[in-house]
Amino acid sequence: MTHRARAAVRAVLALYPPAWRERYGDEVCALVEDSGSGRAILLGLAWRAAPVWISPPRQLHDRDARMRASLATVLVAWSALTGVGLVFVQLTQLQGFATPAHPVVGWSYTIFDAALASSAAVAAGGGLPLWLQMLRQARREHQHRAVGCLLLAFAAPAAFLLAAAVALRVVHHPEGAGPWWFASFAGLGFVAVGVAVAGQVAALRTLRPSGPAVRRAVGAAGIAAMTIVLAGAASVVAATGLCLWARDFAGYHQAGILEAYLILVSAAAATAAVSAARGVRATSCRGAPGRPESGA
Amino acid sequence: MVSRLDRWADPPLLVLASLADEPKHGYAITRDVAETMGVRLSPGTLYAVIARLESQGLIEPLAASDRRRPYQITRAGAAVLAQESARMSAVASLARSRLSGRPGLAGM
Repeated sequence: MTHRARAAVRAVLALYPPAWRERYGDEVCALVEDSGSGRAILLGLAWRAAPVWISPPRQLHDRDARMRASLATVLVAWSALTGVGLVFVQLTQLQGFATPAHPVVGWSYTIFDAALASSAAVAAGGGLPLWLQMLRQARREHQHRAVGCLLLAFAAPAAFLLAAAVALRVVHHPEGAGPWWFASFAGLGFVAVGVAVAGQVAALRTLRPSGPAVRRAVGAAGIAAMTIVLAGAASVVAATGLCLWARDFAGYHQAGILEAYLILVSAAAATAAVSAARGVRATSCRGAPGRPESGA
Repeated sequence: MVSRLDRWADPPLLVLASLADEPKHGYAITRDVAETMGVRLSPGTLYAVIARLESQGLIEPLAASDRRRPYQITRAGAAVLAQESARMSAVASLARSRLSGRPGLAGM
């Protein structure tokens, strides 16, 4: 078997879940080496990857890994939705414009505010015990890099706020300086949130926490995902309402912006909902044979 | 000869039948199934079946040598194979007896 053919098999196997690859990858490579590789074999192998993702073999089911993966995915999607939601708030509610008096828009704002606040509260309340557990574990095991990653949850937003405060002091009225200041602040905010989230995901992968704190965090992630999806839906209704009934309000005559916002919110909401559901389902699953639950 | 009913064959049953006499690794299973039962199992199909049978406790892995891991049928797997074989035998007997009742088709 040529080096190229072996690389092609490895590339196709990359489509499979890591646990499956770890268990069967070498055997499949050996089989393809023995029986010969061809386009049809590689396509068949690739085609079989989808059902494995949908219904992974039970003996490969690692409940804690599933919950950690769900937590990481929900955290990313939740942060994206919250960030987009905060930009939406800034563009509509906090700029001193008179909000259009249409009741649908008004109610949408109310639901959006309530859902966003409760989602943030649930996420913080459910995630804090796990974060503290991981911090203790990282310090106990002298994993300084993991400690640094965890502290990014506060350091990155603090750096953003500091930079924003300094910029505001220098510029005084950034909103008067045009849309570039706003875009810069928004972009910087997304970078800060991205760094903070990446730190938590890296810590989850390194420390591999398990036990009741993970289950509680997954439960909280499920509720936070549902409420943030509600907030996203309310913001979409509000934005659509503004397009329909207040076309002169804050630039809402541009349908392209609404379409992009809708796509972004829908993608993040679907990701958060699906991943949260998989995580919550994993909390009630039995562990695979030979994988005893490790409490921490 | 490769069967024209390849697509209708039941790969889990073929793998169980292949493992009924002795443990085999992936390539040995595909070769055995192709030679004795006339069905080609692709690597993707074979390992989907192996993972499924293993999760159901119908086969179990043995120690691997040089990336080739043999599998052996379990007691539960043997019971399932015996049950399915009996059912298929009944179907085969029925088919043969009905075909023999129609002289024009019996020799086909």
